[in-house]
Amino acid sequence: MSGRIFSVILLPTSECNVACDYCFEHKQPHRLSTTLIPLLTRRLLDHLENEGIEECEIYWQGGEAMIMGPGWFADAGNLMDRLAAERGRRFSHYLQTNLISYSPAWNDVIRGMFKNSLGTSMDYPNVHRKLFNGSASAYTALWTRRLQEAKAAGIKIGVIAVLHQGSLETGARKFYHYFTEELGLTEFQVNTPFPGGPAQQIEGGFQLDNGQLAAFLGELFDIWMSEGYRSGISLGPFDALVDHFTHRAARLPCIWKENCSNQFISVNSKGVVAQCDCWVTSYPEYFFGNLFQEPDLTRMLKTNRARRDFVERPKHLVEHEDCLSCRYLSICHGGCPVRTYSAKGTIMAKDPYCEVYKVVFARAENYGRQVLVNELPKLRKIAGEQKFAS
Amino acid sequence: MQDQIRWPLVILSAVLAEKLEQQPFVVIVRNQAEFRHWLSGPLPGVQWLQVEQLLRDPDVWAFASHGISQIPVDVILGDPASEFSDLYRLVDVCAVRDVRVSIPAAPGLFKAVKLATSLGLPIRILPGQPTAEVLGELSVILEFYLHGTMVEAPVEFFHSLLASACGAKSDSIWTIVEEDPAAFLHYDDQGNPRLPRSSRSPGNALRLAEFVESHFKSLVERGAECATCPWGGVCTGYFKWPDPSYSCAQVKQLLSRIAAAANEISRDLAGYESGFSQSETKE
Repeated sequence: MSGRIFSVILLPTSECNVACDYCFEHKQPHRLSTTLIPLLTRRLLDHLENEGIEECEIYWQGGEAMIMGPGWFADAGNLMDRLAAERGRRFSHYLQTNLISYSPAWNDVIRGMFKNSLGTSMDYPNVHRKLFNGSASAYTALWTRRLQEAKAAGIKIGVIAVLHQGSLETGARKFYHYFTEELGLTEFQVNTPFPGGPAQQIEGGFQLDNGQLAAFLGELFDIWMSEGYRSGISLGPFDALVDHFTHRAARLPCIWKENCSNQFISVNSKGVVAQCDCWVTSYPEYFFGNLFQEPDLTRMLKTNRARRDFVERPKHLVEHEDCLSCRYLSICHGGCPVRTYSAKGTIMAKDPYCEVYKVVFARAENYGRQVLVNELPKLRKIAGEQKFAS
Repeated sequence: MQDQIRWPLVILSAVLAEKLEQQPFVVIVRNQAEFRHWLSGPLPGVQWLQVEQLLRDPDVWAFASHGISQIPVDVILGDPASEFSDLYRLVDVCAVRDVRVSIPAAPGLFKAVKLATSLGLPIRILPGQPTAEVLGELSVILEFYLHGTMVEAPVEFFHSLLASACGAKSDSIWTIVEEDPAAFLHYDDQGNPRLPRSSRSPGNALRLAEFVESHFKSLVERGAECATCPWGGVCTGYFKWPDPSYSCAQVKQLLSRIAAAANEISRDLAGYESGFSQSETKE
């Protein structure tokens, strides 16, 4: 059995209970039936078996995942875990939700199936996440209340913030303090936006100026290093980059993997398979196939032409772009295909945020060096103690 | 890959290897069937698979990324300029077994080294007698290896030479690149032992175990530049084989830079040690 881990971003529904401006998903009132869970699980387990993989991470997203209700998740999770155990495999479950319909009724399933943690999203300032009545402020108020309720129930929460023009104009300091002080969070991450799917129709806001974005991220990095790094605040992806540059085990985000096609897929409620949630909800031209209609996922992934593009992309980039001459190739590999596609209409090009990433990488490299230098006295002390002991 | 192996290590084709039992050996595989066979059911003596001409075959690497045995693979590139981007095929394989990339000193070498290091793959450069063009690339690679902060995996033969210049156990370049017949005995497809980088038969008079010594001795006796070369101890005529008239001027510059880097490291370490002693005294 190999040490590889396979991940599936599983969308039990593409329905949603809110109306955010920049959502890249084509929302449809369709839900994954529990009667299809055994088939879905069997297909996944067959693939794991074919690939010699023991563990599969399931990232439950939507649409809005909580629309399915806690009972549905408890049943689905139990069934999947039992079927996996019967074949000597295991699933680890993760939940990404907007939290809007969170209630204490979820606590048991979150504790049991999701190891008492979940991921959610909020921006600062919030101008694009809206309730159906169109109000962003009402969304913020409701989300904040749900966040505090979930925290009070002892649930560990990580928050994803998508940057937009308003974030850049507000400034990194206010942005950072909103999450750490106003919300009292110890774990959050920043994502760059991309105008995928329906979000493409929205004018402005999502096409950020790379110079401004780089300056914002650089300042945010500085603030986190001075205020948060040593006091237990985890801010992604900066934390993973500092880990990397200080030679610790680092789990870099999917956008910087050697080849994301090696590591995960996304499946929606209709069984459609694509590279990730962005692709499965927005770009039918890049669907890999249907899990409920095709009996062999391994074969589908091996033979599908659209997937071959993903597999070949990093090769293409080092041959045709300037990635090979970049000092940060080992932690980027050309960046995210969907960000590239939404901006350039092809995946065979490097990520449009390339210059932004380089600024962030250079910052991380510099901070990594400082961290190592600062740790020298500690290392000397350890070396001294070892010398004394011997 | 060389720990705890009895010498010499025999390196031979898949067909010949079927006849071996307990003796440590390396199997050269050149097609998918051989690769699958040796990866799935290796004999007890097999140390690793030397994979030739297969980098471009995605099925081979998909198979190798399954957890079928943990036998390491040494992937030989034929033409680094055209094959370098195929190194991406090895990403998943690294999660389940040790992978090394061996790259001949040919145009495009730097591209292959750059990508292999960015994937964290250990590298063995097979220098042979590099042309002036390739020596230019080797010079760039040496700079990249010595000072590139993103380089983590070893790049041989530079790595062992640097370690040896810093005081670690010293091996000759012949041994570092696994071409010394005393330690790595290569067989041709007919089952005859062969001289490194040559189709010539060793002849009856020459014992392969003494090949390097006898080659070096002959160079010195013939008045080759090896007699006065400061790197004679680690090179032992490597770059004068098979053509003894090969000029080593640029190679010597490379080796000098490794020695200079080793000196720099020694000075830095001494500075650190002295700082350490001072801080101990103060405490």
